[in-house]
Amino acid sequence: MNNWQFAFQMLLGGIPLILGVTFISFVLMVYFGPDLTFELLGKNPSAEDISQIRHLLGYDQSFWTRYFNYLQELVTLDFGMSMMKDQPVADMLKLAIPVSLLLMIPGFILGNILAIALAIKAVQFRGQWRDKTIMTFSVVGMSISFLVVIIVFQISLSSSYGLDWFPVRGWEIFTADGDFDGVRYLSYVTVPTLATVFVAVGYNTRFYRAVLVEELNKGYITTAKAYGHKPSQVMYKYILKNAMIPIITRVMFSIPLVVISGSLLIESYFGIPGIGLVTYDAIIAGDQPVLKAVVGLTSVLFVLVLIMAELLYRVFDPRMGKVST
Amino acid sequence: MNHQATYKAQPSHDLWFRAGQQLISDKLGILGATIVLLFLFITIGVWLGLWGQNWSETSDFFNQSPSLRHWFGTNAIGQDIASRGIYATKVAFEVGLLVAVCASLLGTLVGAVAGFKNNTWLDSSLLWLMGVIDSIPFYLFVAAIAYAMKGFIFSMHMAMILVFWTETARVIRGEVIKLNQLEFIESAVAMGQSQIKILLKHIIPNVSHLLIIQSTLIFVAAIKSEVILSFLGLGVKDGISWGLMIAESTNDIQAGYFLNFFVASGLLFILVIGFNLFSDALQDALDPKLQK
Repeated sequence: MNNWQFAFQMLLGGIPLILGVTFISFVLMVYFGPDLTFELLGKNPSAEDISQIRHLLGYDQSFWTRYFNYLQELVTLDFGMSMMKDQPVADMLKLAIPVSLLLMIPGFILGNILAIALAIKAVQFRGQWRDKTIMTFSVVGMSISFLVVIIVFQISLSSSYGLDWFPVRGWEIFTADGDFDGVRYLSYVTVPTLATVFVAVGYNTRFYRAVLVEELNKGYITTAKAYGHKPSQVMYKYILKNAMIPIITRVMFSIPLVVISGSLLIESYFGIPGIGLVTYDAIIAGDQPVLKAVVGLTSVLFVLVLIMAELLYRVFDPRMGKVST
Repeated sequence: MNHQATYKAQPSHDLWFRAGQQLISDKLGILGATIVLLFLFITIGVWLGLWGQNWSETSDFFNQSPSLRHWFGTNAIGQDIASRGIYATKVAFEVGLLVAVCASLLGTLVGAVAGFKNNTWLDSSLLWLMGVIDSIPFYLFVAAIAYAMKGFIFSMHMAMILVFWTETARVIRGEVIKLNQLEFIESAVAMGQSQIKILLKHIIPNVSHLLIIQSTLIFVAAIKSEVILSFLGLGVKDGISWGLMIAESTNDIQAGYFLNFFVASGLLFILVIGFNLFSDALQDALDPKLQK
């Protein structure tokens, strides 16, 4: 079975997941959710106005019709108008997604690379003071709340109580002419990135160290050492390559979580108009079309990540492809 | 006289005993356990009404510095920060305990059933359910549960329980599948024991060490989530919690008052690191893979 057939099969396999996510969130958010009829009406509405709004919101249709309309929206990527901002949901997301990507990608990459580097150092000096120092810092990092990290970084780097080097909040990365400005981008992205990296490194280092140690204890490593391979060669050529499966799994599966959950706190705290802030505003206002779009797209993203992870596994471990055929 | 009986009881007793021995020799683990017990003591005191009761009383002394009367000063409306921090400790402990107990029980039950019925439709649908829950963004799920339950005060706890059980269920499921292939289960089946009895008498006791580890992990996750959710306005609504204190403190900080922030985040940090150290020590002591 070639990779394309495999990916297609996985895509079909992902459909139940998307159906499950959309169904549960539809039931919770829309069916049991708040009735928005009166939020959209003016004062003293007539019975006609009420029924018109209810028709507009689809409340007069049956449960299943509404659910299938939602699925249809997800397939066509047309989620209708936002209830709170007079704007199509698709346009809001189109503006917000690049902002979130620009915001989160540096921290995501740095957080993982730094953690792998620290984990390798810790394993190389296993049981010695370097290992213990790295692991102590990682437990401390894990124990500080993300929220506290964000606030401390903001006070110490962007406020008059600290160094005051960076803007406190906002996201004005374009010049007056609308061009992308690298210096401005760096000034706005630095503090959120440092906070993300600080939190990610704690968890990631621990995980990667455990993965590397497990690989280190295997018999073939003893053989490789006995054959006189250099320690660095054993680490990078054998241990790291064989530890790639759990590493890929972790990196890939944190993508959807980083995009939505990670950026929700960062963006709402720093006032950055990305997908997290759009979601947060929609949660607070009960803007159902936006929430439906975000939940639906996240589940699609999960399925895509699942497929990509499976394809990457086959690159690093050719046995996997053979087993599943 | 009962020498033979003790001899027989030895093997099962021995593993827990050895784990206990290792736990006691783990200095960081003991430090963690002490911290957790200290916070539990504070919490019990609040339950019994010994301290932290006047957390909502306002006074005319705004933004005071620490003094004998107000150990950590007062906030912008003259409330005693120390009392608020102490009462919030109780709130955090309640969230952690309730969520950890319920989520790990639910996870064990579902995981054991899924693992026991491995390769049947029941197993695949339970796995599907776990995948679905893991794919819904956490904050959205909490908000959705809060909508659906119409302001029920435990809706945040409910949402966390409904999300956090999946990890435990996966761990237990994997372990049960492994156990199911061992001879002692096979012989129990051959002796004609019912499936429920095998599950309760032979499988659950053999995964209990994992259950303890999982519940400490859930406890920490619940406390940390509560802070962020309360800060975002999705968590604790009435009363006080560390997250609400931090939310309050973001205004104080601009005015140069840091006490609220230090107390809330400091207490949170100490409890979480204590639990993390304790949980690490437990894992080292209870995980047979690490015992060599």
